[in-house]
Amino acid sequence: MNQQAKVEHLFRHEYGKIVALLLRRLGLQHLDAIEDAVQWSMAQALEVWCRESTPHSPSAWLYQVAHNHLHSQLRATQRQNVLLTEHLYTAQDETFEHEEASFAGEMSDAMLRMLFIACNDAMPVESQLVFTLKSLCGFSIKEIALRLFISQANVYKRFGRAKQQLKNQTLELDMLTDDEMLCRMPSVHRVLYLLFTEGYLSSHTDNAIRQDLCEEAIRLTKSLANSRFGNVPNSYALLALMYFHLARINTRQDELGALLLLEQQDRSLWNKQHITVAMAYLAQSADGHTISRYHVEAGIAAEHCLSPSFEQTPWQKVVSSYELLHSIAPSPLHYLNHAIAVAQWKNPEAGLAVLKSIDGPDWLYRSFHWYAVQSDLLFRSGDTVNGREYATLAIEAAPTDSIKQLLHKRLIGR
Amino acid sequence: MTDKTYMCILRSGTGGCEKPSPSEMELQYAKYQAWQQKFTNNILDMGNKLGAAGSVVRHDSVNDGPFIELKEIIGGYMMLTAATLDEAIAVIQASPMVANEGTSIEIREVCTR
Repeated sequence: MNQQAKVEHLFRHEYGKIVALLLRRLGLQHLDAIEDAVQWSMAQALEVWCRESTPHSPSAWLYQVAHNHLHSQLRATQRQNVLLTEHLYTAQDETFEHEEASFAGEMSDAMLRMLFIACNDAMPVESQLVFTLKSLCGFSIKEIALRLFISQANVYKRFGRAKQQLKNQTLELDMLTDDEMLCRMPSVHRVLYLLFTEGYLSSHTDNAIRQDLCEEAIRLTKSLANSRFGNVPNSYALLALMYFHLARINTRQDELGALLLLEQQDRSLWNKQHITVAMAYLAQSADGHTISRYHVEAGIAAEHCLSPSFEQTPWQKVVSSYELLHSIAPSPLHYLNHAIAVAQWKNPEAGLAVLKSIDGPDWLYRSFHWYAVQSDLLFRSGDTVNGREYATLAIEAAPTDSIKQLLHKRLIGR
Repeated sequence: MTDKTYMCILRSGTGGCEKPSPSEMELQYAKYQAWQQKFTNNILDMGNKLGAAGSVVRHDSVNDGPFIELKEIIGGYMMLTAATLDEAIAVIQASPMVANEGTSIEIREVCTR
């Protein structure tokens, strides 16, 4: 059983590290060949490990096999490239002299550098996300499509764009200076945040599928926070935010998979251990002079997690946090959360007044979020006629069936 | 009753299948491990894979493989021990190998007497 626990996600987690280390040693232009070789080494592992046993250091085994395979592949196609072959020979010698611990350290360092290379604002954030999922988290195109609710063709397109971009740039993993890494830090945080929310907000009925994106995001953010260059307050704020949300992830749906609102969730089921971990990260994130959106969002999540009931939530604090959040990272959706919190703190009319004062973009006024909040506050203020009208609009505009059901239950079935 | 020895011959279809993803492979590996642990007393030897190239030698000819006229290729073998053929069948049926479409496993007793 122990042995089995040890290999849980072994292949997927090693995948990104081995790909990154080979990319670091051979250069980004070999991305395709490297991904094929790592895939091949895992197919070999499946055969050999089943017949013999799991090797003492699975990652060194996989690296070696991928490396040798790549060697023979590249030698066959690029005989003229002497430099490359030399590279491979030195890489091979190095590996065997390496202590296991420093090998592991080098692998995660390579993986993080890869993440910084991928978080390049010259490519769309969707492509950054897909590249991270494919090459660093080891998900297949099919698995990414399933998790992001987009077509496989779309995943291919985004991945292709990322690869093209990476091949066109002349930057290699070791060429990123500390300053450049610092400049890219916000993009790295954003991709990790996106990775987490894609999992957290997903309406996938399979719990495991929702959770594994969140776990991937946490795994990468942790190794970022543990690294020399990623050890910054914002990384800890992001981890705090992730753990506060993770504590509630299993109570967001009922046993039939229908979404549950915050006030309907069974607070006794919230994971206390995760909340404790989140609090510790939040404390660690306060070690600086700047405050980021992640700090504020973690703060709001903390208020919810620590409140014994929905009614006892310190709404006034939540309201001022949303005001702060809006001044740091303006987003029309923060207005809506702000309006909801004001309605809880004061009364529904005050919430409606906030909605009226909003000067948002056009898409906001056509989004189901807007309709739903309007409808809810109108009903609660006693205006059932307009409330019902907005409810119909909200249900029509909702993107998935589970959201439609939730809105129906909340707005029509009241 | 003394246990008998069985040789299990693995055949798989020649159709090219899509490359499995790392998560599919780790799931497969976990299944293998669970299966091996459960039937540790039955599994004598996980055997080996057989190479794709080969020859068939007859009294009047030598034909090189692979044997393209066959739809299925023998990919490997393994050894089991079991009291009866039925027990050996049950062990193989519980294995992750049979989950692959296009794979068949022939079980034959190794007669030592």
